[in-house]
Amino acid sequence: MSTHAATASAAIPSETPSSCACASKFLGVGIAGIVLTIIGLFVSSGKAVALSWLIGVSFWTAIAIGMLMLVMIHHILDASWSVVLRRQFEHGLAAFPWLALLFTPLVIVSWTGSHDTIWKWMNPDYVLLNGHTVGHDPLYIKKSSFLNLEMFTAMTALCFAAWIWLSARLRKASFSQDADGDLKWTFMNRKTAAFGLAVGAITLSLAAIYWIKSLEYHWFSTMYGVWYFANCVRGALAIGVLMLLALYKRGDLKGILNTNHLHSVGMLIFAFTVFWAYVTFSQYFLIWNANVPEETFWYNLREITRAGEPSQWKYVGMLILFGHFLFPFLFLLSYKNKITHSRITFIVRWILLMIVVDLIYNVAPALKDSLGEPLPFLSLNLLWTATSIIGVGGVFFWAYLKSFPKTKLIPIRDPRITECLTHHE
Amino acid sequence: MSAKPYGLIATFDTTPSVYHAAEQVRDAGYKNWDCITPFPIHGLDKAMGLKRSNVPKFSLCGGLLGFTTGMSLIFYTSYINYPLVVGGKPYFSPLFAFPVSYELTILFTAFATIGGMFFLNGLPMHYHPVLKSDKILSGMDDKFHIVIESADPKFNLALTKALLEKAGGKDIQELEA
Repeated sequence: MSTHAATASAAIPSETPSSCACASKFLGVGIAGIVLTIIGLFVSSGKAVALSWLIGVSFWTAIAIGMLMLVMIHHILDASWSVVLRRQFEHGLAAFPWLALLFTPLVIVSWTGSHDTIWKWMNPDYVLLNGHTVGHDPLYIKKSSFLNLEMFTAMTALCFAAWIWLSARLRKASFSQDADGDLKWTFMNRKTAAFGLAVGAITLSLAAIYWIKSLEYHWFSTMYGVWYFANCVRGALAIGVLMLLALYKRGDLKGILNTNHLHSVGMLIFAFTVFWAYVTFSQYFLIWNANVPEETFWYNLREITRAGEPSQWKYVGMLILFGHFLFPFLFLLSYKNKITHSRITFIVRWILLMIVVDLIYNVAPALKDSLGEPLPFLSLNLLWTATSIIGVGGVFFWAYLKSFPKTKLIPIRDPRITECLTHHE
Repeated sequence: MSAKPYGLIATFDTTPSVYHAAEQVRDAGYKNWDCITPFPIHGLDKAMGLKRSNVPKFSLCGGLLGFTTGMSLIFYTSYINYPLVVGGKPYFSPLFAFPVSYELTILFTAFATIGGMFFLNGLPMHYHPVLKSDKILSGMDDKFHIVIESADPKFNLALTKALLEKAGGKDIQELEA
């Protein structure tokens, strides 16, 4: 890999890239994961498997949202270094309709039976620990115009519709430019990004609040959407690096990808590591400082048992503090760690794992025993979380690989492509 | 002119010529030398054999110092010097010391980065022997120069001159010390 792509313009491939025969393999892996998760329904409780499925879907949706936001951020800032990376994100956006499909079972489960399999506020007759029902809970009544089944369904549909629509616009403009080189597509993308960023910010916050935060509907946190966004972008950048390096290894990006691209994307990963920490710390710090029971209970559930002993969740929290922030922070300070393939691969895989742990930490304690105590972290449910992640992930990569041969490997007629190929410090 | 010159200056007309000449000077093993160009030439640092800057090491030290300063400041004031219960919180917790430590980390990192940069590049420098040459003005306009200092252990007036000539340098002059 050369630092200077002085001869890169000669290396621009003019033909469309070969498709990967492994697309169907990924679909197979995805279906296997989904089947295993369904088997889980007969082994563990429906609620446990449903929450695991929620983690799986929200993890990959987070990555797709992160890709969507990054594509739009790059358009609005007219970024040139990221043109090569942007194309991989555009392929990843093809997963949105499938993610919507994979989310549907959760909506169907909410509409059937007692409605409280996943989100207990959906059932007004759900009996809380204090003996009252959700329907008589003042904290629910105040929030009921927002937290009800119809709004949940409509908002989830709206979020996916917005993401699919924005993705379709961005993909169409970028892919059409490959064919005709018309500058109007660049301007169209810039306009899409201008309003799309606002739409994306609102919808991803709504999704985070409805899907994850409302699992404990008593809780208040104004940081929640931003926390989810930070994970979205970190996940998207991590998957982006893995995609770029896989294509480099296969030979597609030889002479195109240079060390400065990896340095730039590494710096962005570093920046969002700090951003994630800033947001997550702010949320914790304000709640700790104010010490209001309506807010502190959320962290108490994740730290001590009813007997006052530290629970497993306390150590998961510590793992997130040191593993999701401190370790990647220190690791990514070094220039060498950002540009050496094996090292950057290691840290982005680590970050992806930590995002999963972070989501588990936010979702899984909603699963409680009869005394209102969260079930421990180490349980069979981790297996269903893993099968869900593999199941949705297989479908995600299948959608990505199916989109991959549809257009050129890199946006060869993007007005910024030369600047990208000769990207330097 | 004094017995020993400050060094030799050679002129180049084009960017590629100075770039390739720099590679030759680098391969000849010189250390105390520099290129003078009217604009940044991408990749010239590599052609000159320059390593990455050492400024980040200063930044890291500044950051660590800032973080420790913040933590110890809060620890000293609220735990040792004047313990006071505020809001039922402990006398010291890294949590409320964190915003201060975080700010000081950034502040001290910025100071150390700027200070380290000036320390390493030796600026501000009010006089440099190269300014005595009448060539230097063109080096700020449309010409490129390589200056090899006599302080370099490999410097030899005749051999260095021959190297610069071989590398395509024109109008090679001795610089007054």
